[in-house]
Amino acid sequence: MTEYLDPTDSVAVPRKTAPRPASLDGKVVTLLDISKAKGDHLLDRVEELLRERAGVKTIVRKKKPTFARPAPDPLRQEIVGATDVLVEGLAD
Amino acid sequence: MALAGTDPIEELYARGVTDGLPVVPPTRERVARAVEATGRAAAELIAEVPPNYGRATVEKIAINAVMAGCRPDYLPVVIAAVEAVCDDAFDLHGVSATTNAPAPLIVVNGPIRHRLDINCGAGLFGPGWRANATIGRALRLVCVNVGGARPGVVSMSTFAHPGRYTYCIGEREEASPWDSLAVEHGFAAGDDTVALLAADAPITVYDQRSRTAPDLCATLAATLAVIEHHKMTHWGDTLLVLSPEHAAIVAGDGWGKADVRRFLFERLHRPVHELVPGVNGGDGLPEHVLRKFADPAHDATPIPKFRKPEHLKIVVAGGSAGRFSAVVPGWTFSKGSNLVLRRIR
Repeated sequence: MTEYLDPTDSVAVPRKTAPRPASLDGKVVTLLDISKAKGDHLLDRVEELLRERAGVKTIVRKKKPTFARPAPDPLRQEIVGATDVLVEGLAD
Repeated sequence: MALAGTDPIEELYARGVTDGLPVVPPTRERVARAVEATGRAAAELIAEVPPNYGRATVEKIAINAVMAGCRPDYLPVVIAAVEAVCDDAFDLHGVSATTNAPAPLIVVNGPIRHRLDINCGAGLFGPGWRANATIGRALRLVCVNVGGARPGVVSMSTFAHPGRYTYCIGEREEASPWDSLAVEHGFAAGDDTVALLAADAPITVYDQRSRTAPDLCATLAATLAVIEHHKMTHWGDTLLVLSPEHAAIVAGDGWGKADVRRFLFERLHRPVHELVPGVNGGDGLPEHVLRKFADPAHDATPIPKFRKPEHLKIVVAGGSAGRFSAVVPGWTFSKGSNLVLRRIR
């Protein structure tokens, strides 16, 4: 029996997404603009629709400095501690 | 992983750890030889590889290098390349995840090119040299197996390009009239280095008739003008590979690399009114730039293709015969990726 070594690292596997809430009633929703062209247009409309149709408690708008890089740690920490739901505006 | 009683090549395919080509099975013995050649401990952490931040220890890099077909003495080059792409300035997260098509291009400088027989001459972007083929491939396997950049899962490039199999060249320093890329970036001529560029596929530029530096550079400028999008502006690091014959024409006029850069930078400006969305294509200057001009459709303010002349990186490489150059566009808009150099240890 020949043994082969594992070329992967255990963390380098696709992550699971967080569980989805059944309702947005009373929830804090953060809309994250990643700075892609017209991402703000998309999120403006999402915000309008959320205000019209869902009983959200608060809508918070945040923006990444650039779509090309991960969100800076301080921004991530701000979001994690203060929101129930995050909507990210990918505009490709 | 134990692959008893089966065809190891098929088993490694089944585990999804290849690039689509067969890999060399990473036996304990092969990996041990590769680790030994580095003179480092197997468990030494070289980097955490974006986007999933898997831990690239010397051993993990060695396993992937063995699979890629590297000789043990190639390992220091692969390690330096992993260090370079994991530098924050390179933005491997973006490079690996973008819908655009960049692949890390490795440019090797220094005497190690001869020791490892890294091709700097005829056909250097193509097949036929074990070092070029397997060093670039090892970096790709690390990006996927350790960094998690699986195509269609995390790596969402619409097209990618063939350089994602392997993309490694040497600069033909001996045929260059100028300082090498590494020396220009502060290294000594005897240092062994890698320079990593998040790069599109090379675009060959044909120019058989130019006999002066301005004529040839005008040709090069016309190709540089259309990279990414003909109305793209404020671009960053981009590689210009001059063949020895083209370099001789430019140097024959007494031009250095700085002269080439200045000529190209100055020539590669276009007035705002040619860059607005809807003129020769729906894309163009972004809204935040257009807002700076009262009447963009009639504004003649010149806008540069590149942010600074220094973003035009120049190397001499390729076969002795042939009046060609190659433009290798970077994925290097503002706040994006940058060329990163590392010493090979």
